[in-house]
Amino acid sequence: MQKFAPSLLVMALGVALAGCQDNGPQDPKVSINKNPYPSTYQPLASQSTLITNATVLTGTGERLDDADVFFVDGKVQQVGKDLAVQADKTIDAQGKWVTPGIIDVHSHLGAYPTPSVASHQDGNEMTSPVTAEVWVEHSVWPQDPGFNRAREGGITSLQILPGSANLIGGRGVTLKNIPSHTMQGMKFPEAPYGLKMACGENPKRVYGRKGVLPSTRMGNMAGYRTAWIDATEYKREWDKYESDYAAGKNPAAPHRDIKLDTLAGVLEGDILIHNHCYKAEEMAMMIDLGKEFGYHSGTFHHGVEAYKIADLLAQNGNCAALWPDWWGFKMEAYDMVQENVAIVDAVKNSCAVVHSDSDTTIQRLNQEAGKVMYRANDVGYDISEQHAIKWITSNAAKSLGIDDKTGSLEAGKQADVVIWNQNPFSVYAKAEQVFIDGAKVYDRNDDKYQAQSDFMLGQK
Amino acid sequence: MTKLTKSLKLSLVAAGLFSATASAASVAIVNATLHTSTKQGVLEGASVVIEDGKIVAINPASIDADTTIDAKGQIVTAGFIGTMNQLGLVEVGAVAGSRDGGDDKAGIDFDPSLAFNPRSSLIPYARKGGITQDVIVPNGGDSIFAGLASVVDLSGSFESVNKKQVALVVHLGEKSKGSRAMSMKTLIDKLEGEKSAKKDDKKEPSTEQKVLAAVLSGDMPLIASVQRASDIYELVKLKEAYGINLVIHGADDAVVVADALAKADVPVIISSMANLPGSFDSLHANLANAGKLEKAGVKVIIGVAGDSSHNVYQLRFDAGNAVSYGMSQQGALSAVTSNIADVFGLNSGAIAKGKRANLVMWSADPFELNSHVSKMWINGEEVSTEARQDKLRDRYTTDSAMPRAYTK
Repeated sequence: MQKFAPSLLVMALGVALAGCQDNGPQDPKVSINKNPYPSTYQPLASQSTLITNATVLTGTGERLDDADVFFVDGKVQQVGKDLAVQADKTIDAQGKWVTPGIIDVHSHLGAYPTPSVASHQDGNEMTSPVTAEVWVEHSVWPQDPGFNRAREGGITSLQILPGSANLIGGRGVTLKNIPSHTMQGMKFPEAPYGLKMACGENPKRVYGRKGVLPSTRMGNMAGYRTAWIDATEYKREWDKYESDYAAGKNPAAPHRDIKLDTLAGVLEGDILIHNHCYKAEEMAMMIDLGKEFGYHSGTFHHGVEAYKIADLLAQNGNCAALWPDWWGFKMEAYDMVQENVAIVDAVKNSCAVVHSDSDTTIQRLNQEAGKVMYRANDVGYDISEQHAIKWITSNAAKSLGIDDKTGSLEAGKQADVVIWNQNPFSVYAKAEQVFIDGAKVYDRNDDKYQAQSDFMLGQK
Repeated sequence: MTKLTKSLKLSLVAAGLFSATASAASVAIVNATLHTSTKQGVLEGASVVIEDGKIVAINPASIDADTTIDAKGQIVTAGFIGTMNQLGLVEVGAVAGSRDGGDDKAGIDFDPSLAFNPRSSLIPYARKGGITQDVIVPNGGDSIFAGLASVVDLSGSFESVNKKQVALVVHLGEKSKGSRAMSMKTLIDKLEGEKSAKKDDKKEPSTEQKVLAAVLSGDMPLIASVQRASDIYELVKLKEAYGINLVIHGADDAVVVADALAKADVPVIISSMANLPGSFDSLHANLANAGKLEKAGVKVIIGVAGDSSHNVYQLRFDAGNAVSYGMSQQGALSAVTSNIADVFGLNSGAIAKGKRANLVMWSADPFELNSHVSKMWINGEEVSTEARQDKLRDRYTTDSAMPRAYTK
């Protein structure tokens, strides 16, 4: 009995304290740092630049022939014909095309880098069906040579996502595609976080093999719902803490849970859902799941069957990030149609995006978008270059919640710009110069602007 | 020798069936831009006549055919030929029961063409990319020897295996466990064993022995899947030592030893899109490699990387990208037509009198994103490029008061 006495005492004290905590003098307020790994990205030095005589696709649906683009201090200032401005540097882009920087909403660069050796496989925390506590930015190897290859293809921003083994795989991060030796040095300032979710075959396969839930699609749904119930409770605890504290009480802060921090961040609308989900019926259920728990179901990635529910996606404000032609590698990818993106896009208020999920096709998102445009036009669509470019610029920016900053050539937007040697929807097109925040970061004709990863240095 | 007789018989049987199914009607394609894949290069305003599955005339003085098609200046090429995939041997990659390209026990004598399904949904889709023939290869099992390649056409006919056992495939280079040296030793031991084996005329040789004999005689190419330059160089030496008909597949680093490959007359099958150091074996992968190998005098075949069974239709875009990064237009066309035909001994891959009538008419530059197949012929027969994908698209873009399931 004696042994227990001290703890009884502590308990009694605890009760007494809890009692006075409600009304007594307030302890310092407990608040969660929502940005503990802040961006240190700094734009490179830039000159005011005037690009003249180009065919400009603005990313807003417009095409301007024989037009100029002027950017100063890292921001687009004017786009139009015969701009009367003074620039430090003028680039004659006669015969060339200019577009906003290309944005890939689905990449694993850095987390699944090359060389793709076992010790580099950092994209899937395959130890539990819900790992909302992991942040893929903690896996990003900035020296992945793939970042440089992607920049050569005009990629100026990209979202890195964790893999799709889990129902809820963790946080994604949006990066500026700038060479850096730290992740923070690439991190897109003020871009919202994304949360990766995955439907279908992957989670049920990975956990079914381990003999734990989920081993079926119904198990998948049960797993998400359980997680969101936990998140709802957690958010309620914090909301109560906040309101009690605001009311002058001295409540005890809830025990912090980094998994539930992220899920609560979704419920609060700070974190955007990016949902790997191929099949029509599953996307429809994920939309209802969001409604059940009061969050928006965000962007569906890989939606091979998105064309079957194009109306539903548009009505519910979902972006669909799609491939032009990947198919057949698994059952949920069997019903591919080459016009998928175009069918989704044709509906009013839609948000069609072309994405890569690949360290090779990320280098050619212009060609990937081109495939869709031409295949769709072959069967009677009338999609123009100025429209198709939105799939890899402004719509992608919208999906990532950065469309107020980049994704189009409009005054005030970040000067993320690509000069192409010709119509970018040609198989022969190449990005010649790439600018991020107005600074030249790639030049095909000047090796001074061709970054090389530490890994590739001195390899013979 | 027994093996040769056998395959001769097989090809005679195939030829018999083939002429029975092919139409005897003749077709003339006139006013075409013929990209011949031969020394003739490009012939403008040209005509080609096909009959009995063969090309019977190019630019004849007068056209005498049952059907005449005005190409209106469109480009006509030989049908493109895919390589190094499991077309007709897989339906859905992750569905084990639909995969027949490999087996744990696969080895030198593994011939997956016995499982070839000409009605696979992948085949009409591949035709959309102008693919008329394909070299299907096993993806193997536990052995370094994956098995035997075959050539199929994409007609959908049950007689579409054109040529069986056209090459032996061996996987060399990096290993997740053990040393690549052991793989090379295994290959050398097999060749050496067959070379020094006492021939017993009374005993029928095993399939494995026949294959190894054909490899040693140079009748059957040995396709070595390998990336690293030092491994490729070792293989070139092996070719010199044994006189084998070596083909290198993968070859991300081939450009480092391009001169040795050219000198030893070793063709390479590469992806023109590989430009990442996927492993320490692939540090020199580069978009310019196809063009550089061409310039060095290496016979280049372009294959689609990754899941090339479902994606072989993209071959034409890969050729276009190779051109964009320095390969000649003619060279890139040969890399998807005549070079493959040469390496595997096919009477196709070019527009010339006597060749198999595998032809594609293109709406524009076949390597460009904006072009599509206007018409195509396999063994002289016009074939459709409508695939399941088109039916699905139409179902979901056709208005109906009934559920979509009623739209067929």
